[in-house]
Amino acid sequence: MGAIALNTFLMLIVALSIPGVINRTRSILAGRKGPRLTQHLHNVRLLLKKGSVYSTTTTILFRIAPAVYLGAAIVALLFIPVADLYPLISFDGDVICFAYTLALARVAIILAAMDTGSSFEGMGAAREALYGALIEPALMIGFATLAMFCGYTSFAEIFEHEQSFNLHHTIIMLLTAFLFVMITFVESGRVPVDDPRTHLELTMIHEVMCLDYSGVDMGMIHIAGWFKTACFSMIAANAVAAMGCFHWWFAVPLAILLTGLSVGIVESTQARNKLIRNTTFIVTISALAALIFFIGYLLQLNINI
Amino acid sequence: MFYLYFLLFLVLITAAIFAAPLRYKVWVTTAIVAITTIALAVPSIAVLAGTDNFRIIEMVGPLFGRESLLIDSLSALFLLIIGVAGCATLIYSKGYLQQYLDKKSSAHISMHYVALAVLIVSMMMVVTSSGGFSFLLAWELMTIASFILILFDAQRAEVMRAALAYLVMMHIGFVFLVAGFTTAYTYCGSASFESLPICFSQGKTILLLILFLIGFGMKAGLFPMHVWLPEAHPAAPSHVSAIMSGVMIKTGVYGIMRVVWQISASAELHTAGIILLAVGIVTGLWGVILAAVQNDVKRLLAYSSIENIGVIFIGLGVSTLARSSGNDLVATLALCGALMHTINHSLFKTLLFFGAGNIYSQMHTTLLDRFGGVAKSMPVTAILFLVAVVAICALPPLNGFVGEFLIYLGMFNSVRDGVDTLASAAGILSLSLIGGIVVLAFTKLYSTVFLGSPRHHHVAEAEEVDNCRIGAMAIPAAAIILIGALPQYAIKIIERTSLELSQSRISIFDGYVSSTLWKVSLTAWLLIIVVVLLYKLKSRAQNNRTIAQSPTWGCGFTSPNIRMQYTGESFAEGLESVATNLTQNTVEGRRVSKNEIFPSSHNYNVRHKDKIDRLFAAWWVELLYIINKRIMTLRTGKINNYILFALLFLMLIFILSLLNWI
Repeated sequence: MGAIALNTFLMLIVALSIPGVINRTRSILAGRKGPRLTQHLHNVRLLLKKGSVYSTTTTILFRIAPAVYLGAAIVALLFIPVADLYPLISFDGDVICFAYTLALARVAIILAAMDTGSSFEGMGAAREALYGALIEPALMIGFATLAMFCGYTSFAEIFEHEQSFNLHHTIIMLLTAFLFVMITFVESGRVPVDDPRTHLELTMIHEVMCLDYSGVDMGMIHIAGWFKTACFSMIAANAVAAMGCFHWWFAVPLAILLTGLSVGIVESTQARNKLIRNTTFIVTISALAALIFFIGYLLQLNINI
Repeated sequence: MFYLYFLLFLVLITAAIFAAPLRYKVWVTTAIVAITTIALAVPSIAVLAGTDNFRIIEMVGPLFGRESLLIDSLSALFLLIIGVAGCATLIYSKGYLQQYLDKKSSAHISMHYVALAVLIVSMMMVVTSSGGFSFLLAWELMTIASFILILFDAQRAEVMRAALAYLVMMHIGFVFLVAGFTTAYTYCGSASFESLPICFSQGKTILLLILFLIGFGMKAGLFPMHVWLPEAHPAAPSHVSAIMSGVMIKTGVYGIMRVVWQISASAELHTAGIILLAVGIVTGLWGVILAAVQNDVKRLLAYSSIENIGVIFIGLGVSTLARSSGNDLVATLALCGALMHTINHSLFKTLLFFGAGNIYSQMHTTLLDRFGGVAKSMPVTAILFLVAVVAICALPPLNGFVGEFLIYLGMFNSVRDGVDTLASAAGILSLSLIGGIVVLAFTKLYSTVFLGSPRHHHVAEAEEVDNCRIGAMAIPAAAIILIGALPQYAIKIIERTSLELSQSRISIFDGYVSSTLWKVSLTAWLLIIVVVLLYKLKSRAQNNRTIAQSPTWGCGFTSPNIRMQYTGESFAEGLESVATNLTQNTVEGRRVSKNEIFPSSHNYNVRHKDKIDRLFAAWWVELLYIINKRIMTLRTGKINNYILFALLFLMLIFILSLLNWI
């Protein structure tokens, strides 16, 4: 029971710290001092205190959607173990449940965006739907790789034991960790797929979908975004930690730094893809995932490659 | 003797419906169907609960010897599906056909109801027949009844065309079924499903499987035999589409399940599994990509049916593979998933077609980009449709998720155990891609039709439909929510069927499937509770704050209008640019060219047709054309050439006779 409570608490810590680390990395690389590490928390607290403006075109669905979005993100968060601790929800096949809970979040926000009847939000929704569809195979086959190598189909059991050092295992775990960092870029709308700081609505994806949200709703959407990012970075960190130091005090900073640094560095050094190239980029990630699975399969068979 | 009684039964149904007054025809039909359903549902439920198989009648058919009508666990399951969907369809038709009662003649309406009753009765006979003559008779009856049902609006040319294409394709399939049963009869002296193992033991497994796969696949809409579905569904009235798409195409799935069940574990079973899995993957992907680019509500739904059949076949294929390698757990899980998805699809697809019927009857069009904002004028339809959309996207906490979860779990377990790893990985890869694109297709459908602002004045003037139709829609909607929230109890329905078909032990079912579904159900409830709590919290927080209303934010543009909304066509544009090779677009009108600075009014209409469509007509004609052209080169018009040909022909005959070949 204590382990479960600690696990949930640590996941919250991870979720709340990553945006700060990203911002700090970016500002250091740009030669600025940057905002304090908790600035995003203050911003959201401000949003949660505000009133709201709703479009006259919208229906009740628009008001329920943020609750579904955040609710699904919270439930998804409860699936993820922190290294050797235990998550609240765990059963055989919970990897599937996790992926489809996040899909529910996506559907809620797409429908809400379309509910406003705005052409800009429609654009964002259409892109989100397409990219979400193309990244889904990468996610699932990534889980399948883990299931094949660790011999379990639930997160808690996959990441239950510290593995004794094994070259094959290390290769696969590192590749999977890389895969999940790439998925984080896509799922949380970061460079090179989407740029959260862009000022032109025509080229946005994630931000443009919530143009009509304000106040509490906007705050909920922000929090849900952090939770989603935390899930993927924790999976990646677990995969790395499983090879050596499999303890929560190692996995938590690793998760925060892995995503925080990689997103921060990529955003400082790379430009966003042209929108037309995004499809190729995401399909490549899925193809990469299939390739990793195949390599894992060959290693499993002990074929010398 | 049985056939005489059966004929008498059909004549009596016809007479009763024709004799009833115009407004009561629907109730007479409903009574007939309800009585039949209840009479068969009682033994079905008993069989599913574990009693012995129930033999209705045994008779000698004119062609293939002894046959019987028998309810076993598989029949019982399909009987329940047919009964529930049949009753819902009839109740719905009461409201839907109301507007036609003054326009069509009384005989026309009677004919329609007779066909509807015959369709339901013949489907029930299909799933209870042991094979042979009675099966083929019921199958043919089913085809003809559905043909008459599609023809309801026969004065429209495209309806006539679609119905004829349907009739022709069904008979191509029928020929393969007859061939299948005849082969079986020749080799093992009986054309019933139970005697198929004798044929299979003589090395005819793959031949028979392919014959039956083509025969049944034509009805089920397997790739590339699916082309009738997107033509027939938009042509038929909505309740007919609902029963055809929700239930009738499942008889094809039923047939395949029954045939595959009879193959005992062997090398052939492995091949059969690979074939089923491959067919399922191709059908599913093709169906879903084509669904996402359609711009007509009913065509989109038809393609989505094809995709769902693909998903069922993926489950069936994985289960068959696992049975051949002796992996009981995977075989049970994947088969449970396939059966569950069969039930689920019959529920949400019926609901979706009912919803499409509602909006069609109000706005007289099914073109996606004519709608917009229907949720405001038809709120109840919008909510029920949303339930079906979430269910078909396989999202928790509704029923679609339960079926796909079980199929996934089967494949994940197979990958974990290292048995048939690559086949299962291919299944996972394609099922997740299918799942992703389904979300795209159905968010497009729902948001273009129900959300945003009305694009046409018909939409703003629409009203909510009558209670009869809403009531009919509530039946599948309630089942969808129940199965989604309490899968651990719903799974009991398919317990016996899945155990018998996968030939595995009860302990797996009780120990693994039920306990996992308990956890899934708990997660679903947790999700519901969290969402409700968050919504309550948010409403309370907003209680004494300023909540303002304003027009949608136009990003600084001062005069946005309704026509600037994102359309369905533009929503799927990204996918279309990837999948451009799969469709063949027919375009009417012309685009706005880039040189027009002040564009005048344009008419531009694009339809995304299937390339495979040509397989059943145009390709053969073109092939004949090419062959003809080649042969025409022989017609030189010179008499000396013709004499040479005659000489060559005589020499050919001479040589062949020397070699004793003729």
